[in-house]
Amino acid sequence: MPSHIDEVEFGEELPAFNPDTSMNNVKAFVRAAHWFGPRFTDHEAARREGLPGALVPGIMSQGFLAAMIHRWAPEASLHQLDTVFRAPLVVDEPCHINGVVTDIDEEAGEVEIDITVANEAGETRVFGTARARLPGA
Amino acid sequence: MSEPLDIEALRAEYLNRVFDEKAFELTAEDIAQYSASCGELAPRFINPAHPDFQAPPTMVASLQPYNRLPDGFPEIAGLGMDAGRAVAVFKPIRPGVRLTGKTHMHDIYTKTGRSGRMVFFVKRMEVNGPDGKRLAHADTSTVIREKPES
Repeated sequence: MPSHIDEVEFGEELPAFNPDTSMNNVKAFVRAAHWFGPRFTDHEAARREGLPGALVPGIMSQGFLAAMIHRWAPEASLHQLDTVFRAPLVVDEPCHINGVVTDIDEEAGEVEIDITVANEAGETRVFGTARARLPGA
Repeated sequence: MSEPLDIEALRAEYLNRVFDEKAFELTAEDIAQYSASCGELAPRFINPAHPDFQAPPTMVASLQPYNRLPDGFPEIAGLGMDAGRAVAVFKPIRPGVRLTGKTHMHDIYTKTGRSGRMVFFVKRMEVNGPDGKRLAHADTSTVIREKPES
């Protein structure tokens, strides 16, 4: 759990994070985000739309990525996060997030982290790159 | 989609022109719940009593404009897929602060693969504080796969 930039190592893997994709949690999220729609909260309604089931909103999976970084480095100030949605995450299906430090700019106090969200089958569903600042020593 | 989109014409007509403006105000309750649902543990995101309480950096991506597309933008057959989101945060966003989101078409580009051409539309919402200074921006990328004419 680094609190300063000089405690971060290039290639360091962040602790794996298995976010809560349960229906109850997704419902709580969409209420807070004001993103209403049965495709997120009703498996049957989503299947009628041709989807594999209710979907975890993309903005929620992006939120998972940010949370993973803050769980690793609570003092990190995340100022940029680009996320690509390759395939949907389905509600009630577990997923796993892995991250690795791919660049360190000690002068700027900034780290770059690549993050991947995979399903139980190990298929990448979402990936992203984050830039975060940490305090200097 | 019967005819391929004229990307250069779309870029010339629509890029960088604000087509939507909307006011927002985040509540402490929504910020805390949004953060907790995403798995945040840091008190500055989940505890409204924390002296540095603020929205998690990705919450700006949840702000939705009134209008999805600019007036006159061509109707595009089929459903666009949400291809990605990007956020950049310059200053923390606090609860109870009046925010103004101004949205423009930020980029339109194509990628061509074996299955044909895909067109990407990137909308950007710039989020400003009450003093007009930029706090953050959020990009939404939508992709449309063009169907080749048969």
